[in-house]
Amino acid sequence: MAAPSLRRSLRWLALPVVLVPLGWLLFTGLGTDPRVIPSPLVGKPMPAFAGATLEGGEFSSADLVGRPAVVNFWASYCIPSCVDEHPVLLDLAARHGDELQVVGVLVNDTPDDARGFLDRYGQVGWPNVLNLDGDISIDYGVIGPPETFFVDADGIVIARHVGPLTTDEVARQLAALGLTP
Amino acid sequence: MRRIALPVAVAALLALGALVVLELMRPSAAPTRAEQARLIAAELRCPDCQALSVAESQTAGAAAIRRQIVEQLAAGRTPEQVRAYFVARYGEWILLAPRSPLAWWVPPAAVLLGIGVFAWWLGRGRGAVAPTASPTGKARDRIRDEVEQLDA
Amino acid sequence: MIPTLGHITVVIGLAATIYAAAAFILGGRRGDPGVLASARRGMYAAFALVALACVAMVISLLTHDFSVVYVARNNATTTPPFYSVISLWAALEGSILFWTLLATGWASLVLYRYRARLPALMPWVGATLALGTAFFFAVMAWAGDPFVRVTPIGPEGNGPNALLQNHPFMGLHPPLLYLGYTGLAVPFAFGMAALITRRTDEEWLAVVRRWTLVPWIFLTAGIVAGAWWSYAVLGWGGYWAWDPVENAALLPWLTATAFIHSSMVAERRGTLRTWTHALVIATFVLTLVGTFLTRSGVVNSVHAFTTSGIGAWFASAILLTLGGALGLLIWRLPDLRDRRAPGAVVSRESAFLFNNVLFLGITFAVLFGTLYPILVEATSGARASVGAPWFNRVNAPIFVALLFLAGVGPALPWGGASWATVRERFAIPILSGVGVVVAAWALGVRDAAPLGILGLATFVLVVMGDEVVRGARSRARSRGEAAPLAVLRLATRNRRRYGGYLAHVGVCVMAVAIAVSATLGTDRTATLQEGESLAVGEYTLRYDQLVTEPLASDPRVIETRAELTLAGPQSGPIATALRDYPNSQTAIATPVVRTALGEDVYVTLLAYNTTSRAATIQVFINPLVMWIWTGGAIVALGALFAIWPDRRRRAVEAALAGG
Repeated sequence: MAAPSLRRSLRWLALPVVLVPLGWLLFTGLGTDPRVIPSPLVGKPMPAFAGATLEGGEFSSADLVGRPAVVNFWASYCIPSCVDEHPVLLDLAARHGDELQVVGVLVNDTPDDARGFLDRYGQVGWPNVLNLDGDISIDYGVIGPPETFFVDADGIVIARHVGPLTTDEVARQLAALGLTP
Repeated sequence: MRRIALPVAVAALLALGALVVLELMRPSAAPTRAEQARLIAAELRCPDCQALSVAESQTAGAAAIRRQIVEQLAAGRTPEQVRAYFVARYGEWILLAPRSPLAWWVPPAAVLLGIGVFAWWLGRGRGAVAPTASPTGKARDRIRDEVEQLDA
Repeated sequence: MIPTLGHITVVIGLAATIYAAAAFILGGRRGDPGVLASARRGMYAAFALVALACVAMVISLLTHDFSVVYVARNNATTTPPFYSVISLWAALEGSILFWTLLATGWASLVLYRYRARLPALMPWVGATLALGTAFFFAVMAWAGDPFVRVTPIGPEGNGPNALLQNHPFMGLHPPLLYLGYTGLAVPFAFGMAALITRRTDEEWLAVVRRWTLVPWIFLTAGIVAGAWWSYAVLGWGGYWAWDPVENAALLPWLTATAFIHSSMVAERRGTLRTWTHALVIATFVLTLVGTFLTRSGVVNSVHAFTTSGIGAWFASAILLTLGGALGLLIWRLPDLRDRRAPGAVVSRESAFLFNNVLFLGITFAVLFGTLYPILVEATSGARASVGAPWFNRVNAPIFVALLFLAGVGPALPWGGASWATVRERFAIPILSGVGVVVAAWALGVRDAAPLGILGLATFVLVVMGDEVVRGARSRARSRGEAAPLAVLRLATRNRRRYGGYLAHVGVCVMAVAIAVSATLGTDRTATLQEGESLAVGEYTLRYDQLVTEPLASDPRVIETRAELTLAGPQSGPIATALRDYPNSQTAIATPVVRTALGEDVYVTLLAYNTTSRAATIQVFINPLVMWIWTGGAIVALGALFAIWPDRRRRAVEAALAGG
């Protein structure tokens, strides 16, 4: 049995034992953002998808082989986020349309509403897959529009961006894809 | 009457317990596919809600996942495979309960530890207290108990 | 002008509480009543100042003064006056202002009440409370100023969050909850004062009982009101989702309940004193943790306020408070030695201690589950979710064990029970429990949860009934009173015990209601054309028509409602709606609930089609739900009965306090 004075001193150990892990937990918790969720698809081949498009045609992800791609999940009801990122996407397609392919995928939306959105905020030159049954959203683990996936020329997903796309993010991913922003 | 009351009560309780065990041991019908689907849906998190399960949520996203669960089960996959299918796409986050054994065993271990400390504390002062039940002084004990009871 | 005034009062309030803290410490050390009186006045002044600030904010909200950022974000010209006023606590900065109002209110009340009593303890109680409220003033002054202005002033505001303006309970749940949270600072302050002045005998416990039970009643009512509100508003038919913010409110409630039980042991038997002190510290620190979780953006939640720098302030406050209080406790550990040996294994105090172990077990489990995602992310970067399935599976057995203990505790005497007592006390309750289970089975109930809880609840109720009958009988015999009068007299002379019984009755009612509503409900979803009907259980619903029109109370909100006719045990016209708020991306469901004693009919409008006039509705039949809220009210009533002033007790307390 330790001497009483030693026991008394040992009691004070309770303070750092309690406070240090708690402090670590609280402050590291503050440094994280619970809304940003990493995708398990990063580093893996992009899930294949195909379907009817808003423009009336058909699209298949097999057509993307050989070129980097930007797969953007959006919807007409996602205001203001999808509205905010629309010009960024238009700019991306305008500047790099010959180096990569932008593809839009609707999330739980109707063709009429989607066309209304494009009429209002700007027509786009890339195909928009209807995804009416929602299977493509599930395959990509989409939490909610807007979400954008960057895929390299070999078909490997290199990044997922949750939320409206920003010019900074685009520049970052273009660099990662080996393209000059 | 008083002497047999508790043994009768305990016997009744044990009989009930035995019935319960027998009922649980009876081979129950295998869960239907709809029940299986509901169970899986209750354990998946609805991606575009706050903390609701896919079973409870009425969003279109949740409905699509419920439909997929049914399709997968119809294609012959096991519930574990269906869960793994969704984890592969959304990440561990899609499961409403973590799979890690740490998450499941820490709380019961803490409770058991608490009970252990409780038992140790109770045993600590045993020597200083006179035994409360003595075969000869039963009446005395009853009286003392009743008095303490009314006093409190 | 008014907002500027509001800001100035906050700054002066900070100064007042810092002054009060310093004066309390100085006056306490010197024993100078003049300095102490001045300190108290500083606290009263702080309360008056923050009250003025609240008035300023409410006026700004009512007059739609969009020069104030908070008003611009949470109010609009079309917001009804009721919702304008209660927007005081609708968002981060306002909620801290409201919190500070209540905290200074409690502090002023307690300091005024004991201004001429407990001269040894009160200076340190005052210092602790003053420091605590100073923290909240500091947060308002630096990190979350509610009166920040904006230029240019917009013509229209954002309006309150849609979910916070479609049900009047927004005016009930937060105030009740905050009254509970802020009130729990008072027992903590007494605990600190007891440690500092080394007066850790039963005096502080006798005083603190009422000051713990009153906030506890508010916290209980606030949690139940919150569950009721989310049930009525959110549309998924449930009332508790183990959301991090719900857990944040539950955690201090759990430790406070444990404290209420262990303080009885400490007061009567002189044991568990260190433990009781630790509990009062844990309760207060958990109220800070709760505030942290709600406001820091650390966890994903329905309630999440905007992320801001405030998280770091609260994290630091938690660490400092816990560190200081724990240090004080360790320093004074020798004063808290047990006065008596622990009682027998089968005794009331060991039942209470076991109760504490279980309550702390649930507290640990809930805290662990809430913080687990943060833990996982901090260590591995992965994201994990911990939701209702985990919490229910882990906590259910502990709650069941607690319910069983609620029947054991009242039957056992303090000190120890003889075998004869056990035999006598528990035979009939066990038989009754078994009988009820068999009867329920015979009536068709087959699910394990309702059966088990029914049996346990019966056991608990019969134990307590037996106690009442036994006491009334002996009293009637010895005084010749009629039985009912004997019960009444007995209850009013033993308020603590009988109030406790009533509270436990409420717990039994809630337990049965929760078990039944969770397992025996049904629901159906269907898409109907106008004129079609849907059958659910004993009810039939006919979908009559779809109506779209602006709300009378707030014309900016467009409501689309499905008008239905209900037939069955409850009948009549009902309507369920989806509302489009201008500041919300998605339509907000406004479900309708028809409540009866036996069950609720709950209808949500999921979707509608304006061209085909079809409506998709989900109908729930939820049994016994009203008994959850009623049970909660009974619990609160029981606690209220327990603390209701008693002439005899008041004389005793006055004698105690005079020392």
